[in-house]
Amino acid sequence: MKSEYIKNWETQFKKGVLPLFVLSLIVTKEMYGYELILELKSQYDLDVTESTMYPLLIRMMKEGLLEHKWVEQQSGIPRKYYSIKEEGRSVLEEMRVMFQNINLKVN
Amino acid sequence: MKELEFKDGSAKRIYQSYIERCLRVLKPLNQAAQVDAIMDINSYIYEYMDHNKDLSEMTSLLNILDRVGPPEETLKEVVAMKKIDEAVSTYNVKHVFQALYYNARNGTLYFIFGLTVVLFLTFPFTIFMKIFYPEDVGLFIGNGSFFIGTSNDDPAIKEHLGNWFIPVILLISVVFYYLLIQLLKFIRKSKLK
Repeated sequence: MKSEYIKNWETQFKKGVLPLFVLSLIVTKEMYGYELILELKSQYDLDVTESTMYPLLIRMMKEGLLEHKWVEQQSGIPRKYYSIKEEGRSVLEEMRVMFQNINLKVN
Repeated sequence: MKELEFKDGSAKRIYQSYIERCLRVLKPLNQAAQVDAIMDINSYIYEYMDHNKDLSEMTSLLNILDRVGPPEETLKEVVAMKKIDEAVSTYNVKHVFQALYYNARNGTLYFIFGLTVVLFLTFPFTIFMKIFYPEDVGLFIGNGSFFIGTSNDDPAIKEHLGNWFIPVILLISVVFYYLLIQLLKFIRKSKLK
């Protein structure tokens, strides 16, 4: 069973790397919010709620990393698809280099 | 915005009530921003329920509303961010002040925390001052003044606690200490989310 300290550290760590994981997913294809949540769980074993995802995506758009478009669905409830911008791609590359450097140093 | 359809009347009422709460929180934004945000929230609710059809409507709805969180919290940061965008793009005085208000509000907790720390540190100091300068230190009221500190020889301003000064200040310090601990717990809890 994880200690309280490890649990708190894990929470902060996941919060920190979440933008990296989001960009890593969106760079492959445009995605909508709930789809991102499912992919984060399946690919990175990250449980992210909508209360975290929604403000994060808004922040990333505000920073110029992502853009969005609404796509009408058969259900009548449109989906907001996010795609990566050029700035997002360069930020992703920088993040990946930093992450790899940290990983090397820790190991 | 197209509302979701429910077979369960109670679930529908809960959903509508939640959307109304969201709209109240989003009210400071312009129409386009409000519509964009409410469509976002609506979409999250729909997608979760659509992907979890094995659950009852009520269970599914309650789950997703729990995940989205109270609108007053989830949308607070979004409103503050979008308000800055409005203020910066329009230079409208009303939007500027609203942006300052909504962003300062998010930092209010830290302001209160800082103020509590300052008071917690300075109040006990007056106890030492009272021990060494019993006549000059106390709670002074009069002539439109109300303060804890040293007298300024104004005859209209009188000290009111006397020997009760130290016990009262000790009690106030304990209250501030308790408040500090509760604020720290709250800040820690909000940071871990």
